[in-house]
Amino acid sequence: MLNVVDIAVIQNEELDNNNSFKQAMDYLSNEKNSNRLFSTRYVSEEEASALLEKGEISGYVKLTAENPKIVVDKNGVDQTIIKYAVEEIYQSQDSYEELYKNIESIFNKEDGQSFFDRIKSLVIMLTKNNINIKDTSKSNLSYTMIEYYTLIAMTCMYGGIIGAVAISWILANMTNIGKRTSVSPSSKLTMILSSCMASYVVQIIGIAILFAFTIFGLKVDYGDKLPQIILLSSIGCLAGLSLGLAVSTTVKSGEGAKVGIILAITMTGSFLSGMMGVTMKYIIDKNAPIINKLNPVNMITDGFYSLYYYDTLDRFNFNVASLAIFSVIMLVISVMTLRRQKYDNI
Amino acid sequence: MESIIEVKSLTKRYKEKRAVDDLSFDVYKGEILGLLGPNGSGKSTTMNCILSLLNFDRGNIKIYGKEMTPNAYDIKRKIGVVFQDVAVFDELTVYDNIDYFCGLYITDKKMKKKYVDDAMKLVGIEEYKKYFPKQLSGGLLRRLNIACGIAHKPEIIFLDEPTVAVDPQSRNNILEGIETLRKNGATIVYTTHYMEEVEILCDRVIILDKGKIIASGTTDELKELAKTKEKIRVETKELGNKEIHEIKKLSCVEEVLYKDNILEVMYTDENNNLENIIGYLKSNNIKYSRIFSERPTLNDVFLELTGKELRD
Repeated sequence: MLNVVDIAVIQNEELDNNNSFKQAMDYLSNEKNSNRLFSTRYVSEEEASALLEKGEISGYVKLTAENPKIVVDKNGVDQTIIKYAVEEIYQSQDSYEELYKNIESIFNKEDGQSFFDRIKSLVIMLTKNNINIKDTSKSNLSYTMIEYYTLIAMTCMYGGIIGAVAISWILANMTNIGKRTSVSPSSKLTMILSSCMASYVVQIIGIAILFAFTIFGLKVDYGDKLPQIILLSSIGCLAGLSLGLAVSTTVKSGEGAKVGIILAITMTGSFLSGMMGVTMKYIIDKNAPIINKLNPVNMITDGFYSLYYYDTLDRFNFNVASLAIFSVIMLVISVMTLRRQKYDNI
Repeated sequence: MESIIEVKSLTKRYKEKRAVDDLSFDVYKGEILGLLGPNGSGKSTTMNCILSLLNFDRGNIKIYGKEMTPNAYDIKRKIGVVFQDVAVFDELTVYDNIDYFCGLYITDKKMKKKYVDDAMKLVGIEEYKKYFPKQLSGGLLRRLNIACGIAHKPEIIFLDEPTVAVDPQSRNNILEGIETLRKNGATIVYTTHYMEEVEILCDRVIILDKGKIIASGTTDELKELAKTKEKIRVETKELGNKEIHEIKKLSCVEEVLYKDNILEVMYTDENNNLENIIGYLKSNNIKYSRIFSERPTLNDVFLELTGKELRD
């Protein structure tokens, strides 16, 4: 039996228009429900804020045109349950729209773990591991930001294309400029490093423009973790660039094919790490974790997620280190392939 | 003469096909060596092997007495290459392109600037220094390509068909530029299938066919290889079989052809042939309009040696 959590839902136009969300919240707050989760009050935002301040509720939910905003004032199991439940309802609300008349069956479906079982497991895990979610009212995180994170990760990896083009100007079998460069007295290592640095600067400028646009244009608030986000993006760019170099040096085909391979790796990696739905990331994490451990896009997105979900930086640091190791391995492969290279045909 | 480049028994195969077959030659200091041959004869492959861009199956290549390898940077520093295909950055101006490629060899900024200016002057593209490659004509683009390859004032220059598909003005400009490079002391290896350029520029010529050397020497020495020493063409409408038969019996005549009112007489010797044929025409009251005398060309030599034209 779970403790009933006191919460408030802001009574506004979005709530009035979202019948399925209200139905679900009513069901989870029904006193007759043996698995009752919430005691819900429908109030104005001012009232909700006052109730939260007095400690009468653990948090409140405000539906907006985009995503639900969850406001809590401290870390804890109750706050985690609010967040988990609201996200679950919101993500699955299309199903509820169709079946809201029989909403009980949705929360108690027999194919797989029921919603309540998962909530119970979550509470046990949180209690056991002493893991707390953060005060989201300060950092204002939302699903939209998670999408931004995956897109930033993808943009970082696209640096591989810049790397591939830059390296084609060094390889005699790829471009005429490569032939000219190859007969010059500049060492391959110097050329690779200078090309890498130039490509990296270009990629960093691109990422900086992207951040500037999201911060100043889209008014995205990255909270107090902006330095870590910039660090992760910078390492992500290096990983993308080094992947491009490795593909460009090891794959024996034209520039178009190499760019295609880099695009395919990036897009597949982005998909598996949740760009088209966060659920995919969890599916891979659960069923084939090795894929996401080796997936550089996932290393970046997971780094972002870890900043969002965890108070400590352990997982973030692990992802940064993984990306750095990945980059070094790719660069070593590139240099080893290019050293003393002559061709059978050019 | 001091040998700068030594190529010994160079063999390069593409699968079963021998692109270069047991090639041996030297390039001497200050000369222009022409590698002449039709398309696919192995000229560019030979050049790429010498430059250590291509693996080869057998043989030995030395430049300045040292084995040429991809990491022989001290040798590479003295070499300039102008490839057959234009190799410039579309995003850079004419000046910036030359500056970039010169910068791969020359680090001193003042010297580099002077060298870039000299290179533009040499190929005559100073007034286009702020143009982008896409704004240039084919001929100017070729000149830019050459400037990028020789801006660092190399001691050895490889020119791979630098005049392919250029207008006559650019071609003359390029050839003059190559002459200037030679006067400045450069040793030049020049590959082409234009025999006229070889005759104008080259001190020595190696004729290649199917990856093999079929003849080598100065242009005069090569022409000596031709059986026909002089060819005289006469425009006349009044020749019958009897006259043709009599011309065949004249001194040193090797072959006689008469087609479309043009008489062609090939001689095995080059002395007094014009006098002899004019004398015969006059003595037989045969009217003629124009007469041309031609010495054998390298194409004639190639034709006799291989049975095909250089441009086949």
